[in-house]
Order: sequence, then structure tokens, then C-alpha cells
Amino acid sequence: MNQLAIPLERHRLDNGLKVVLSQDNTVPIVAVNIWYGVGSRNELPGHTGFAHLFEHMMFQGSKHVPKNKHFELIERAGGTLNATTWFDRTNYFETVPSRDLELALWLESDRMGWMLPAMDQEKLDNQRDVVKNEKSQRYDNQPYGDWDQRLQALMYPKDHPYHHPVIGSVEDLDAATLEDVAEFFGTYYVPNNAVLTIAGDFDESQVMDLVQRYFGEIEAGAPIPPLPGDSCLEPIIGSTVREHVLAEVPLARVIMGFRIPPYSSEDFAVAEVSRALLGMGRASRLYRALVRERRVAKGVVTYAFPLLTDASMLLAWATGYPDSTPEEIETALTEEIEALVEAKQSEVDRAIALTETDLVRALEQVGERANLLSMFDLYFDDPDRLNHELDRLRAVTVDQIRDFAASQLGSDNRAVLVYEPKRES
Amino acid sequence: MSLLDRTQPPGSGEFRQFDFPEVQTEALPNGLDLKICVLPRLPIVSVNLFLRAGEGSLVEGRAGTAVLTGDALEGGTLKRSGSSLAEALEGIGARLGVSTGWEGTNIAVSVLADRLPEAFSLLAEVVLEPDFPSVEVDRAREQQLADIRQRSMDPSALASDEVSRRFYAKGLPYARPQVGTEASISSVSRDQIRGYAEACYRPGSGGLIVVGDVDPEQIRSLSGEYFGSWIGSPSAVDDFRVNAQTRERRVWILDRPGSVQSELRVGHVGVARTTPNYLPLSIGNLLLGGTFTSRLNLNLRERNGFTYGVRSRFGFRSQPGPFQVSTAVGNEVTAPAIREILSELESLVVDGAKREEVDAARDYAAGVFGLHLETAGQIASRLNQIVVYGLPDDYYHLHRDNIRAVSTEQVTSAVKEHIRPEEVQVIIVGDAERIVGSVDALGLGPLEVV
Repeated sequence: MNQLAIPLERHRLDNGLKVVLSQDNTVPIVAVNIWYGVGSRNELPGHTGFAHLFEHMMFQGSKHVPKNKHFELIERAGGTLNATTWFDRTNYFETVPSRDLELALWLESDRMGWMLPAMDQEKLDNQRDVVKNEKSQRYDNQPYGDWDQRLQALMYPKDHPYHHPVIGSVEDLDAATLEDVAEFFGTYYVPNNAVLTIAGDFDESQVMDLVQRYFGEIEAGAPIPPLPGDSCLEPIIGSTVREHVLAEVPLARVIMGFRIPPYSSEDFAVAEVSRALLGMGRASRLYRALVRERRVAKGVVTYAFPLLTDASMLLAWATGYPDSTPEEIETALTEEIEALVEAKQSEVDRAIALTETDLVRALEQVGERANLLSMFDLYFDDPDRLNHELDRLRAVTVDQIRDFAASQLGSDNRAVLVYEPKRES
Repeated sequence: MSLLDRTQPPGSGEFRQFDFPEVQTEALPNGLDLKICVLPRLPIVSVNLFLRAGEGSLVEGRAGTAVLTGDALEGGTLKRSGSSLAEALEGIGARLGVSTGWEGTNIAVSVLADRLPEAFSLLAEVVLEPDFPSVEVDRAREQQLADIRQRSMDPSALASDEVSRRFYAKGLPYARPQVGTEASISSVSRDQIRGYAEACYRPGSGGLIVVGDVDPEQIRSLSGEYFGSWIGSPSAVDDFRVNAQTRERRVWILDRPGSVQSELRVGHVGVARTTPNYLPLSIGNLLLGGTFTSRLNLNLRERNGFTYGVRSRFGFRSQPGPFQVSTAVGNEVTAPAIREILSELESLVVDGAKREEVDAARDYAAGVFGLHLETAGQIASRLNQIVVYGLPDDYYHLHRDNIRAVSTEQVTSAVKEHIRPEEVQVIIVGDAERIVGSVDALGLGPLEVV
């Protein structure tokens, strides 16, 4: 396919809010998407889970928007909405019929500018309960549900911002006070720490007037404080670190993590393409070898986390069959990952072809466009990077992948997390 | 700068009419319903081939065979092995996915427009010349058995399976999990898989749906070239009638010691997709438990903080699927949560729907319908519904107007007819010892710990 050409335009309000506009009036819908530069990496010791709890509080109403009105008005308009919290950022988004763009801007600006007057203890207690239930449902009551917190703890030292899980600890959530909420809001939920993207069907002659009208009078905040903790990290772990968990799980699963260059580094593209060679699609190395040929795993997953601070993670996991042992899964996983030093050009071509299809499919949705544009603007100050993503990946050579496999995917940079089913005695 | 009056939400702008895109429909001589829809926005295409090879037409002893055959389909063709097939597809950036349900098997490909002819040829090869090598059938079977093992420890999957088991009369397809059981899957042989595909992967009453940046003439010619000589109709059809296992309200606790939460399902046998009440009932379900601001979610999550979320749902299938409320709640609030769910069902059925909430749910449904007309995959899956349930060709063109025409009275009468609080089965997957006393004290009906 030829070069992607998603149109875009950038603006910046006096209060520091960055704005990205991307028009496409094919379907009369519009996506409004805000990324705030705050995530679990910004949490101080004793305040883990705060960024995520705060995300919940952002739906509890603001000065001019009563509790539950946010959902009610967007649903009434025929729109969808949500928010997510991750290591480096928190995003809020809605997609609505284009005639209700102004409604979405009113709601998002009200909680950016007038959140605190509507906070109270009852809302905090209620959402704390909801978040604890979320933790129970998604982490504690699920087989393998604690894998990410265990892997993070293996990969990053105790005082590193990526050491603790995004969902946080129940103790810290219990300790959160209204004053903490207010301070967190005042520090991070400021226009100079956010990107607003509007993608889809809007009137180009009016849209910036609307943005200015709703967001313009919000005051800029102080500069964002540096990350807490010690974010100095060696580029590799230095050894093989491991944890063996005997748990109520149905099948053995071996999860490996490797430190890789951060998303902000040029070398991240090499890690991204390498992970695709390993685990993207059924012709990938791990699927072919572990699932089809050696039959030690029922499924494999690989992922390169796009993290910004010091070092990111490449993840590879394999889930066994009822009679697979963790040892044979680990051996096969290790051998096949190390064999990437013999990567071939045809594999790179295949990975790029699949990535291209996936990217074009994602861009069919204005919500996805908006989300990617916000990310590229917040992370790299370059939303147009979206149009060059494929070039960045296409530039990766097979030699780079081989070197990457040799230097980053060996036993001196490996975290191994093994889940073994508890057998009935 | 003049200060803005922020106290009122801004009104909506002018409504921009937007219709479901134009679809060209053609009945091919072999019985395939060909539907083509041109979406030129991005150079991408979705192809869906729907075949009437579903779990609903299998006898109990062979449950899971359709799913297994679908999974083994990518194991290779007469021309190439499974790995070579994957390389050929992925080499042109094509994503192939096979999914099997009660009504049939759906084989979907998405690919960039300039690689469509090659993708079409590979799709035809997969469907018309599958090889099902033993090694690949064994692999797919082991994967399915491992899936069954995983379900046995996943609280949400356990709850779904218990719903099937307790809602439906024994022996009915809907009474069992779609993936089958260890017993039914372990014994399926390679020959049976081949025989199943030979008999049931047939074009009759199936559909071929192509959506995206395409030239309709080219699609017609590719369809003729690759699927024209393929003939026949599936030998098995789903002709069962659904019966509820009981009309008595009962409580089932599936004991999972150590659970920190109870997975709850409350409901009974619902109604088929073809019911004339489909839209009023869908609207009624939205306001009961289909949106964030629904009665159930505002009560259990936002008022009581019992849960991360709660939904209600009618499983519309060719025969009546389950109606169920589903959520996960802490052990200590299991009984109060069940009480609140039942009280919401009862008040909806006794007092009916309120006009404001019907208006809101209807606006939501009409608006959200328009939100999901963006991608080739979204349009293709709508068109697939037309084929699967035999809906009229103009169904989605009229859909939004039909949603807007639903009245409060219709919603009230539909929920009164199809939601029966006195007949619900209450399914709980959780730590029986910690919850049984308080749940029994609700006095809902006979309680059994299983």
C-alpha cells in the first residue's frame, strides 16, 4: 500500500493544551479523545492505584455535571465512552454522532476545569468499592490474574516506577483521602499536561472556536513534577531471574520478560518487529514450533510494551496442555526465542504485511485514529508519526533483528515466571 | 474573554442523515447468498463466508465437532501444509479467522484491497480442499480439550456453562457448552472430521459477504471462478424445539472454595431472534441492564458499590437463547446483590417501563447503530445477521426508523411477556460455605449446592 495520509492539524491553547484535529466526514460521527500525561509511574510509595482510582472519580461528576450525568448524556446522544489507565498515561474518550460534538467538549472540559468542587467523601467511598471489586474480578478471582504484577516485580527494582501494578494495593486504596484526590488532580489534570484530539466529522471553520470556548478559560497548572523513585536502570537485567508459582490454575504457563529499549528510542522498532516474528500470526516462530510442531503449548502470546521510562518489556508466554510440564515449555520457549538470531528476510516481510493490515483496520475507526494521534502527540510531540509508523517498521533490517536477539533475548536478560497447577493430593 | 454559561449542556446540532450503505444482493445458483457492499474509504476488504455447519445441528454425543472442524480447518489443504498455508495467507497480510456458533461456521478474511484476488483463491482452497492431516486434527483436539480444562477453572465460564445446564431441558444443544465435553471431543476421529466437513461445508443457505474497497464486477467474477462449481446443501439442520428445564424458581450454588467473589447469573430461557418483539425487548433490556445508566448498574454499582459492573442480556438465537443478568460481587454482598437484581426485575415487570427511560434507551440504540457503520468488518457482520436469521434485505436500512417507532407500551408489554422473575434460575459460582446461609435466607426457592 502507498503512504498513509491521515490528515491532521495541530494547535495549542494559551493554557498549554495541545489540540490535534483530523477530519473525515465519511460517517457522521466524531471521536473526542484526551490523553493526560499521568499514569501509575507517577504514583508515590503508599499511593499505588491512585491514577486508576482517580480515573473512576472523573466519572462522578464535576461542578456543572451531576453524578452519572456524564454517562447519561453521552448514552442519550447515542455515543460510547470509556477511559483507561496505564503506566505512562490515562486516556478518556467518547465517540458520538457528530451533531453532539459540543456536548462531548462541554463534558470533558468541565471535568478538566471544574472537577474538585463536585468531589465528596461518599463518591470516593463508592468508587473505592467499585475499584476493589474490579481488582477482585479481574485479578484475584482469575487464574493467572496476578501475572503482570509478578512479572513487573521481577523485571524492575523496588523503587522503579514500573515495579508496582496499575491497579495498586488494597491498603493504599483504603488510605486514599479526599485531600489526596485534590492534590493529584491539581498536579496532573491540567491543560499543560494533556492532548485533546478530535477526529471524524466536524465543521473545520468552527471546531477551534468550540475548543477555545470550552477549554480556553481553564487555568494552566504548575510544571509537572519529576517521576518519583529511582528511574535509573541497566538496559538488561544482568541474569535470569525467576519465580515459580504453584497456584489454582488449569494449565502450566511460562511467561518470559526481557528488558528492551524504551518506546521513545529508535531501537524500539527493532523490538516490535522481532516480537512479530516470534508471535504474530500462525506462521510466527513460536506458534509454528511450540503449537504446531513440538506441541508443548496450546497457545502463545508475544507483546512489546510501549513504555517510555528507561526500559520497556518484551513479553512472550506459552500455555501448556494438561500433561505439559513447565520445564518442557520453558525449554522450548528459550530455544525458539534464542533461535531468532537466524531470522530470515521472508519472516520480516510477513510481519510487516500483517502489521500493515492491522494498522489500516484500526484506522477504519475514528476512535482509534484519535487515540493514536493523542498518543503520538503526548509521547513524541509528533502526531504525524501515525502516517510514518509503517516506514519506521519497514526500515528494520534482518541484521538488526539478529543483533537484537543476540544482545537482548538471552539468559542475561530474562525474567521467567512459571505457573504450575496445584495437583490434587 | 467572555465567561461561558456552563450550567446547561449544549444542545445537539443539526441531524445529518446517514443510511446503511447500499448492498448488492444476488442469489448464486448453488444457494449462496452473495452480498457486496462498496466502502471506498480505506483500501481494506472483509470477506465473510457463512456456512450452516453449527453446533445446534449436532447430537449430544458429537457436541463440539463443528467447533473442532472449524479449528482444524487451517491445518492445511490438499496443496499445502498448515504452516505453508499460514505463510501464504500472512505473506499477503491476510488475517483468516474461523468461528463456530450454534447456527453455523463463519470463515472470515480481512486483507488489503490489492491482495484480494490472492486471498479469495486461498479462502476457496481452505474451504473446498481441506486436508485435515491427522497431526493437525490431533493438535486442534488437544487445544479444545485444554480449553475445556481452562473453562473448568474460570468462574465466568463455569457460570455460563451452569446457565446452559440449568436453564434448558436435558439433551438439548443449548443445554451444553458449544465447545463440547471431554467425552464428546476425545472420541472424534479424523475421518469423522473429514466426513463432517464433506457433509456440512456446503454452499446451500449459506452466505458470501464482501465489504470494502472493491469493484462489484470483480467480486462477482471471483465468486463465480472460485465458488461457482461448489454445490450441495448441509446434510444436518437444527430442527430442535427448546424447552425450559423447570418453571420453578431455584438456586444453584456451584462450589468453588476460596473464591473471593461470587459470579452470579439470574435468568431463564428467553426468546428467539425472529420474535416480533425483538426491538421492544432489546430496548427494554437496555434500560434494565444494557447501558451504564441502566437500572441494574445504577443500583448495584453506582448506588451500592457491590460490583465492577452488571449487565442483562437476551441471547437471541435461531431458537430461544438465555435471558440473563450477569455480574460478579464480593462474598459478603452476594445475598443482597441477588435481592436487588430480583427486585429490579420485579419492579420492571410490575410497574412497566417509564417513558423517559424508553426515550433514552431508544435514542441510545438509534445513535449507537450509526456508530457501528464505520468499518468493513462491522458492515459485514450486520449483513451476516441477515443471512443467518433470514432477515429482509432492507432490514438495516429501516433499522433506525424501526427503533425510533418503538413505544413505551410495546416495551412494557414485551418485558412483561418475556421476563418472569418467579421462574428465574439463580446460579452462583462461589465459596458455598461462606454464602449459602445468607442466600438460603432470601427464601427464593429450593437451593442446591453442586
